[in-house]
Amino acid sequence: MTEQIPSTLRETLIKADAIWKFFGSVSVLKGVDLTLESGQIHALLGGNGAGKSTLMKIIAGLHPVDRGDLYVGGVKANNLTPVLSRQLGIHLVPQEPMLFPNLTVEENVLMHMPGNRAELKSRLIDLIKEVGSSLELHTPAGQLEVADQQMVEILRGLIRNARILILDEPTSALTPREVAKLFTRMRALSAQGVGIFFISHKLGEIREIAETVSILRDGKVVLAGPPKSFSDAEIVRAMTQIEGKSAFEIDEARPEFTEGMEVLRVQNLCGEGFAHISFSLHAGEVLGLAGVVGSGRTELAETLYGIRKAARGRITVDGLDLTETSPIKSLDHGVVYLPEDRQSSGLFVDASLCWNSSSLVLYREPAWLRLGAEEQRFQDYVKSLGIVCASSSQAVRTLSGGNQQKILLAKCLAANPKVLILDEPTRGVDVAVRADIYRLIDDLAARGVAILLISSDHEEVQRLSNRVLVMDHGHPGGELRGAEISVDTIAQLSFGVTAEQGAKQC
Amino acid sequence: MNRLHFLKRWETVLAILLIGEILVFGAINPAFLRPSTLLFSTSDFVHIGIVALALTLVIITGGIDLSIGAVMGLAAITLGLLWVNGVNIWIACFGALCVGCATGVLNSVAIHVAKVNPLVITLGSSFLFSGAALVLSGLGGASGYEGISGFDASFVELANLEVLGLPFPLVIFFVATGIFMVILHRTRFGRYIYLIGQNDRAARYAGVPQFRTLTIAYALTGIMAALSGLVLASYFGSARSDFGSAALMPAITAVVLGGTSIYGGSGTILGTALAALLVGYFQTGLQIIGVSSHVSNALSGGLLVLVVALRSLSEMGRAYYLQWRVLKSVGQQTS
Amino acid sequence: MLIRFLQTNREASVAVIILLLFVVLGVVDTSYLSFETVLSIYNNSLILLVIAIGATLVMATRGLDVSIGSIMGLSAAVAGILMNGQFGIGPSIAIALFVGLLCGLFNGFMVAILRVPAIVATLGTLGLYRGLVHLVTSGSWIEGLPEGFKGLSHAGFLGLSAFAWIVLFLLVGTHCWLRYTAFGRSLFAVGDNREGARLLGIKVRQVQLTAYAINGVLAALAGIIFAAQIGFIPNTAGNGMEMRAIASSVLGGVSLLGGTGTVIGAGLGAYFMTSIDSVLVMLRLDAFWNDMIAGGILLVVLIADGKIREAMGSALRYQKYRKFIETDAQNDKSVETPTIKELGEVRK
Repeated sequence: MTEQIPSTLRETLIKADAIWKFFGSVSVLKGVDLTLESGQIHALLGGNGAGKSTLMKIIAGLHPVDRGDLYVGGVKANNLTPVLSRQLGIHLVPQEPMLFPNLTVEENVLMHMPGNRAELKSRLIDLIKEVGSSLELHTPAGQLEVADQQMVEILRGLIRNARILILDEPTSALTPREVAKLFTRMRALSAQGVGIFFISHKLGEIREIAETVSILRDGKVVLAGPPKSFSDAEIVRAMTQIEGKSAFEIDEARPEFTEGMEVLRVQNLCGEGFAHISFSLHAGEVLGLAGVVGSGRTELAETLYGIRKAARGRITVDGLDLTETSPIKSLDHGVVYLPEDRQSSGLFVDASLCWNSSSLVLYREPAWLRLGAEEQRFQDYVKSLGIVCASSSQAVRTLSGGNQQKILLAKCLAANPKVLILDEPTRGVDVAVRADIYRLIDDLAARGVAILLISSDHEEVQRLSNRVLVMDHGHPGGELRGAEISVDTIAQLSFGVTAEQGAKQC
Repeated sequence: MNRLHFLKRWETVLAILLIGEILVFGAINPAFLRPSTLLFSTSDFVHIGIVALALTLVIITGGIDLSIGAVMGLAAITLGLLWVNGVNIWIACFGALCVGCATGVLNSVAIHVAKVNPLVITLGSSFLFSGAALVLSGLGGASGYEGISGFDASFVELANLEVLGLPFPLVIFFVATGIFMVILHRTRFGRYIYLIGQNDRAARYAGVPQFRTLTIAYALTGIMAALSGLVLASYFGSARSDFGSAALMPAITAVVLGGTSIYGGSGTILGTALAALLVGYFQTGLQIIGVSSHVSNALSGGLLVLVVALRSLSEMGRAYYLQWRVLKSVGQQTS
Repeated sequence: MLIRFLQTNREASVAVIILLLFVVLGVVDTSYLSFETVLSIYNNSLILLVIAIGATLVMATRGLDVSIGSIMGLSAAVAGILMNGQFGIGPSIAIALFVGLLCGLFNGFMVAILRVPAIVATLGTLGLYRGLVHLVTSGSWIEGLPEGFKGLSHAGFLGLSAFAWIVLFLLVGTHCWLRYTAFGRSLFAVGDNREGARLLGIKVRQVQLTAYAINGVLAALAGIIFAAQIGFIPNTAGNGMEMRAIASSVLGGVSLLGGTGTVIGAGLGAYFMTSIDSVLVMLRLDAFWNDMIAGGILLVVLIADGKIREAMGSALRYQKYRKFIETDAQNDKSVETPTIKELGEVRK
């Protein structure tokens, strides 16, 4: 690391004291303690839904603190607003760039800044040169590539002389060269006394840049300290362990499976976000698809289902070419997809439970709906999946996350799948429902359904899969079979820990 | 707190308001309560209800159709032009309905092709259709803004025909209400309408045929707008190109007041039908007790503002209440 | 290149269409191609220009106001009554503008504070304000406006009336205000990405409220110009103008989804809508072709616009995923991934 401010001269910029945050009745943060000092680069690590982004949004004033205290520069600031937070010198660079797509780069960066336009503009031009970017001031932000959009967000923070900079996964869309430049810039800033929160999924980056790392899991900080004091394995384990493991036996042996007929074959498939993916899937098999967020797994699943177009390669289902498919065509051939984001693409949250459960098979129904049969089928699923609800006409929104997920499963099962693609099937559900879903997946496989399981939870992949395929930035990153499958091997393949890097740390 | 229950309650509220309104106007002027007044005054406004029924479908899908007023005029003029050129009046009626259907398909295709907000597309097409109506009437008769009259007596009498003691336009409205209730609430097509409006993206993932569904919805709206234009032509005994210009806003008002969300996803035919009667009787009632028709327009505008603002306030209040309740219960758990 | 230029400078495409219109006119009769024609069309388009400016402001914030026709009628009526009641012309106009401000503020309050969907809120006030017109006028027309007031619309300096100068000033002024000031840009920011604007500390509600308020004042001004031009105030004054205003703005490149557009574009759109009228008269065609031509051109422009945007979108998408789709250069990459055996050794 570069020269640092001596720790005696450091002041505490942010202090979070047992912060709680609730969305509806779900608690996202459960008493988080965290500090950021001037000149410190503080990395945050954690799986999906661990609460990193929520915590950062609280510091940026986008969400109020529900319980606990937040101090900015020693002053209690529980009721931050975006305006106030900005005045205190906090700048959040969100994960999904929050740009104005129709406005120019210049306007996007300088929007709502006091001061002389011409002067600001020349400072911006200098800054762009300094970070080594080739952004043009007059391009509409909507026409930029994601990496450049991210750069615009970072420039926004830099030009505002932020004292506290929050970078939420800034490197996910950057090339290695751009990452190197960003890191140089970050070091320079920290030497000037700026405190930086840095969220990343990449261990290597964190080791390279961060002075401190805090690992969040399930709304709590589970591990904190300088990154060099932990081994990769320790960090990965801290991130991925499941809370309340004892509720069911996670290490329960994978059920024996007898390989059935090949139902799905993917040959050298290239598409939006992945390339050269080949595998085959057999009846009764659970194939785990692992990899970090953004490694192209969801895009691959959506291509198999016909939401996205494949650029080249071949998909065959039962020997039939389904490369040019559409959701209806896929459903007709028994390929069913359970989307990752149940709120936006999986469920009709304002529609009734019954409507949701039948939405995939509507097209098979006669034009005149048989409401009685629909209700009956729904009641069957209520019984077989153990869905807790008051009536079939209540809106999905009113259910808990776990029961919503069961409705989503019921919807997919109603389509009578031959190939079931499950994208994060246990996201945001509690332990009991998780156990139910695991049992259901075992059961489906035993009945000969071929299952493609996408999950960022390595224990889940280990527990359920007969075979694991790891994706690395859209490319095939390795395959694990039988005894090779373990939380550690999956983690090491997906975090791209190469043998060389691993050796250095030991 | 169930959303569907809330909607059910909303229709009850509308029905109670409707009955209350009739009773109040009746108390001020008993002439209002005479069955003939109650029934035959509907002919003044029932055309709005007829088109609002189909518009409900479009609004539930998350779209809107601003061209219905123009289509009403265009259909009436088509009828007039065909009749003037010696076509049988019933075939002419059929022709007008076909034109209505074509306008709807055109709207849907334009929306699909341009992938632009339906509001803008139908705004553009409303100029196109009302312009076409003007051109046709200009080409048909010598002067642009005069109507075409002198229709076959059997057609003109239709509006004053009584069926089972009810005026014929009202019968059309009731029958259409029934048909649309069945279409929206009992068929696969109706279910698609709701699903598209509730979550466009999830509908795509579920393989809902979006373009086909939307095209049928817009085509139905075009047909109903044309039908509404024909009802007016029969009622006035003449066809004019600007027939529908005053009908667009009241039709949207009926749909919104009937409980349909302007963002799509929820709404019922019964709500729209009740709201159409509510607004219609509101205006007639005010006129019968001596308020000028213009002021009664203002009051219906005020009614819409009031209802929408109250609903929005109650939604906000409920959200705050729920948040408060959650925080409170959590506080008890952790302390 | 041309497509790219038209996309980034949407005003230019309307300007081209207007030029084409004049070319057609010139082909028929060159004597029409004069500065007078340009001016007379400008004078006819004053009202539409003013409300198109207002519509642009509101649409920039991703809003919509369909009540402007009624606000026009209401302020015109208020001004007329006050003037005929021996109030001075100046104070009457000021009060009428203030009425417009109140109407606009109420719309803004419904949309920004109560969060009622813009089209629903202003649909309600459309009826409400129109009814107020009938209340204040008791349903009758207002005639016999003072000569001094009507004089404001008579040609003056350089052949332009006082109102024409005001509108010209307004066009340039609001254009610069929207384009070059922080507040002007924040209108677009709110329309383009509401949450993003909030994140940058922009007071979103205040911005929305301001847009509707100014829109109300502009609609009031349009009503006053209308009254001065025709010399009396029918109680239907302003009916249907909202649709023409929105159409003008959309034609000039203002998006209903917020975030884009310029006042000059909207002004050109309004000018075009008016010029069809005048040109038809000069071509000795019947005026009834007007709406159909306007609608047809509007649809063609919209569809072309949508197609261009789609093409650019898919090009961007291709860019984003290019490294996966053009894969020939990357074939060797998959070889480098470590095997499990290596990893296993490392762990020990």
